[in-house]
Amino acid sequence: MTQPQALENKPGGERRRTLAVEPARLGDYLYVVPALIFVVLILLYPLGYNLYISLHEMSVGNFRTGTAPFVGLEMYSEVIADPAFRHAFLISLLFTGGSLLFQFTIGFALALFFNRPFPGQGLLRAALLLAWVLPLVVTGSLFRWMLNGDYGVVNFFLQGLGVLNKNVFWLSEPDTALIGTILTNIWVGIPFNMVLLLAGLQSISPTLYEAAKIDGANAWRRFLYITLPMMRPVMLIVIMLGFIYTFRVFDLIFVMTQGGPVNATTVLPIYVYDETFEFFHFGQGAAAATLILIIPFTLALVYLWLIRREEAA
Amino acid sequence: MTALRRVQRWRYSKTLLGTLIVAIYLFPVYWMAATSLKSLRDIFAVPPSLVPLPPVLEPYSQAVINNPLVIKAILNSVVISVGTLVLTLVLAAPAAYALARLRLRFTALALLILLLAQMLPTILIAGPLFVIFSQFGLVDSYAAVILADTTIITLPFAIIVLRPFFLSVPKDLEEAAMIDGASRLGAFWRVVLPLVRPGLVTVGAFAFLFAWGEFVFGLTLLTSEGLQPVTVALNKFIGQFSTRWNNLMAVSTAVAIPIVLIFAVLQRYIVGGITAGATKE
Repeated sequence: MTQPQALENKPGGERRRTLAVEPARLGDYLYVVPALIFVVLILLYPLGYNLYISLHEMSVGNFRTGTAPFVGLEMYSEVIADPAFRHAFLISLLFTGGSLLFQFTIGFALALFFNRPFPGQGLLRAALLLAWVLPLVVTGSLFRWMLNGDYGVVNFFLQGLGVLNKNVFWLSEPDTALIGTILTNIWVGIPFNMVLLLAGLQSISPTLYEAAKIDGANAWRRFLYITLPMMRPVMLIVIMLGFIYTFRVFDLIFVMTQGGPVNATTVLPIYVYDETFEFFHFGQGAAAATLILIIPFTLALVYLWLIRREEAA
Repeated sequence: MTALRRVQRWRYSKTLLGTLIVAIYLFPVYWMAATSLKSLRDIFAVPPSLVPLPPVLEPYSQAVINNPLVIKAILNSVVISVGTLVLTLVLAAPAAYALARLRLRFTALALLILLLAQMLPTILIAGPLFVIFSQFGLVDSYAAVILADTTIITLPFAIIVLRPFFLSVPKDLEEAAMIDGASRLGAFWRVVLPLVRPGLVTVGAFAFLFAWGEFVFGLTLLTSEGLQPVTVALNKFIGQFSTRWNNLMAVSTAVAIPIVLIFAVLQRYIVGGITAGATKE
């Protein structure tokens, strides 16, 4: 890769040929340096600093001065022993699992519906995405109103359909609050699942379906033996991404229930927020943050590995 | 002939079914707007009236227009969102270009970090960021939120989405410009950037949407009410307007309107961006 220095300084036509194979010069790095500085100072440094905090007893008294005493892994053992942390972990899994199951199946059904062209298809498909771009705080306040016990429209519809026979106070009862937030999150996540799955469906070659049709396979068998196997890698990726993005949901739950009633909706991100910004337990908050990061981080690496394999195939 | 007609009828019945699905799915958005146009008496009607008749604008005049806190919060959000948009484009365009074009040793590593950054739960970085920013006296300033929004939310997304646009620009074009005497920077500015304009629009739209809807950094890095973005203000009203749902929905609608407008105008850029940002690289 080492290019003779003299070549680079040759004028005119000579230079043209060398351009393509020229090794990166110092000047080229200037294009990335500004972005790099931001990423290092505001992303990587805080992440590293999070580790530092998690190993120190940092409090309201000493967090500005940087004189917090080193306590080793004490914060980690405190967090792991904390029943509230374990409970939050369980709630996170329930929230993520419940959301994913329905987001994915409904998103898949819609993707199948929108896969074949029909008049007005593009416009309708785009309209669905509106729910996804809405700020989560707006969605949260809107569903708080719709799930309201006395005057909420959800109770009205469910009673009209005969599903309920009395008002349910969705978000203020510990038994139903989690269901209420999951319901809202399903609504938010459907278009995202649909768009990604649709992209996958459209990459399946139509000749496969035609061949199967000629062989007499009906729609159900074509779905079972062509669509599903061909979609397997895309489905895996969508579920993986869905998990990563659902596991980190904070805004929506914070706005709807703030983790309540009685911690019924305290997912892990809410737990970290409470520890750090409500109780100012910076050490515990940071230790919990590190522990929480392990799951999505591992999944993200699996996801990258899947994508690479997908591209190689 | 009848077969053809049957196919056509099927196609239109699909349109009908699709419209029905979208209408049911988007009902909550309608309900938000409908509630915001109702009087206080109407929102407590049992059964609820599905159409606000007659529509009233009182919730808007009460909760939005004559509410200095909301107006200030909207202005704050404009400052934060525009700041984030500009900073994102300024940082992301050259970086994405370099990662697409130049043979940098760390391209693969940089892309990996950016992708992981996108998946990071923002609340987890808010804690250490709060501590670091308070050591530098940055807490409680527009700059704190703009820096955090840009670096952690919009910049990774922007670079990942923009890079393929730069990859698709033929190298010959800038080489020709450079032979004609332009510097690399000149070629980048005058030849390459205009060609990736669709990418810049996508990224710019997303940067604005993300920053406008951002909540975590607005909540944690700003402590005084005067600087709060609309999302944080809206969250406060949820407690204050506890039973004035029409007022709450008026503020919610007001927060949503810029997003809906941008989405309507730039829809085709945004739809492409969702898949690109999530799956590319």
